[in-house]
Amino acid sequence: MDTKTQDSEFVDIHPRNSYLSAQQLIAHRHTEFEPPSGGLKRTQNEGTASELEELKRAQEYLRAQLSVPRIERLGGRALAIWNAEQQVAEVIRKDGKFENFGYSEQGKLYLEYYEAMFLLEVGRLQLEYCGSVVSIEQAYVLLLGELESERYSNYLVYSALSRSGYIVVKHVRPQEIPQEVTSADCIWALLSEKVADQPVPDHIKNSPFYHIAEKRMEDVKERITSQKTEDPNIVVERIDLQFGQRKRMADERPIKEPASKKEKLSTQGRSLVDQLKSEFTYAKFEDIFEKFEMVQLKTQDYTKEELDTPSALKIIFDLHLHNKGFKKSAPTTPNFNVIILSSQATFPTHDEIAKIKHQSLHTAPLLVISVSESKQIQAFLYYIS
Amino acid sequence: MQFTFACKRKRCSNKNVNSTPLPSCQDGERYKGRFTGLSVEIVDPEQAKSLYDNGCFGKGSKSRGAPESGDEDETLLLGMEESCFLAHYLNVLDITNSAGCFMDFHRFVEVAEEQNDKFLENLASYVYLKSKNWVIKSGIKFGGDFLIYKQSPRLYHASFLVIVQKPGDSDHYQSKNLKGVQRVAETSDKDVLLLTVQAPKDISCPRDLQEASVTETIVRRFNYLTFVQSKQQ
Repeated sequence: MDTKTQDSEFVDIHPRNSYLSAQQLIAHRHTEFEPPSGGLKRTQNEGTASELEELKRAQEYLRAQLSVPRIERLGGRALAIWNAEQQVAEVIRKDGKFENFGYSEQGKLYLEYYEAMFLLEVGRLQLEYCGSVVSIEQAYVLLLGELESERYSNYLVYSALSRSGYIVVKHVRPQEIPQEVTSADCIWALLSEKVADQPVPDHIKNSPFYHIAEKRMEDVKERITSQKTEDPNIVVERIDLQFGQRKRMADERPIKEPASKKEKLSTQGRSLVDQLKSEFTYAKFEDIFEKFEMVQLKTQDYTKEELDTPSALKIIFDLHLHNKGFKKSAPTTPNFNVIILSSQATFPTHDEIAKIKHQSLHTAPLLVISVSESKQIQAFLYYIS
Repeated sequence: MQFTFACKRKRCSNKNVNSTPLPSCQDGERYKGRFTGLSVEIVDPEQAKSLYDNGCFGKGSKSRGAPESGDEDETLLLGMEESCFLAHYLNVLDITNSAGCFMDFHRFVEVAEEQNDKFLENLASYVYLKSKNWVIKSGIKFGGDFLIYKQSPRLYHASFLVIVQKPGDSDHYQSKNLKGVQRVAETSDKDVLLLTVQAPKDISCPRDLQEASVTETIVRRFNYLTFVQSKQQ
């Protein structure tokens, strides 16, 4: 590579590869291709000379577009290893912000297949499998599977929604959303354990407040039973403090949280086309209108068995908005729950949607996204009576 | 997401201020209609005008909407559901067949069901929507069963395209059919309202419709891109 003679003071370097100049590098980063414009769309094979010519030009254009050397910064990539057994990518080296991607388990960061695929496509990830770097083409097979499955549509939806500006995360079932355990919760749990003999739930036991509350309660108990009060004021004060917290909890909870949330989510049992009843003409002729009010809105009563059978519709993703302060570690209520339909699937009927709502599997309005045969995605909102 | 419906006012001036949503026969004279085999025809021009002005029933035989061609031989054509409603629920119309015999409810339903095997479901939807003060017109030009209007087609554009289904029907839940009908409705600012009607098994008198029940579904295309962009500002 370099030759160094004893006589000369100069070092000659002859690189094996040729390097691009700075101008060339910049030019190659943004190569733009104009698609050839050509008349009307053809719908049939004609086999004419002009058609062959057109085909040849189209292929050449494609080849030119694909064979341009691509320039990318080598450093700006995270490194992950694909674990085929668990179907996850383990992140070995992070690069840049990873705030909304992946999930942590035992101190390791893992990426789901769609997240890894997406990062790979946007050039932020280098994926390795069995010690070698995976190309994008290989990743499609490796991550999305060789056989046709819902993974491809899931990835398409994930990628389209992420690109358009949503935070897309795996659906969290309503009961799994971790409730924040306050010290008041711990006190309540302790009280019901002592008074009503109810065991303390695990999620409260794990709370950092639990042991503090338990300790404090023991202290207070100790002081009350021994009656050796050195400073009775403090005891009184402490009880006061606890009562204060307790009261606030009892007042705020039922009004603020569940009532309004349920109300917002369900239109069930109410008609969607009742608006004209507030019209002046309706009030004037109400007697007559009421006479034909004979066809009733169907209300569904589900047996326990029906509710227990899992619905065919699965909620795959939750959508969050960027400016709502989403945090991976403490997910808030999402803006939408996403159901994905393949191109052959029929749309969910009233009863199917009603069942999901009844089972309260959803945490937000349902967004039904259909992936068409041409892989275009389209979203639909359902309103049901 | 709260549901709000589209209701676009037409640009023309208010032509008819004194209209009522339902016709009545206070002067004792009932409307007379003749069943032609396809629809029920109101021959008397005065009765035709009165029916159209009060509740926008029917369609002029020589006009697009109201009978307003000015021809003397123009009649008012009532659809099967609306004539059944006028005759047997509002009780203002007598229907005779081509031979001049009076048709009772049972006979009329029988004939209508021969025409359209979904007649009972349609009738139940018609009565259901009528009780909610909608003006109901045929939805055939938008590929549905009904179009429903606020007040009158003269004043407002239709708010919904109604599609009536039997409980087991999955035709309109096929993705290409649903998307198709939605695109058509969306170009004219309507929503698609899917009504699934459980019709009574046996119907011998108008009251038997009480056995029917309805579920409503509105599926709306949602532009997720503009939604997220509007929220980011």
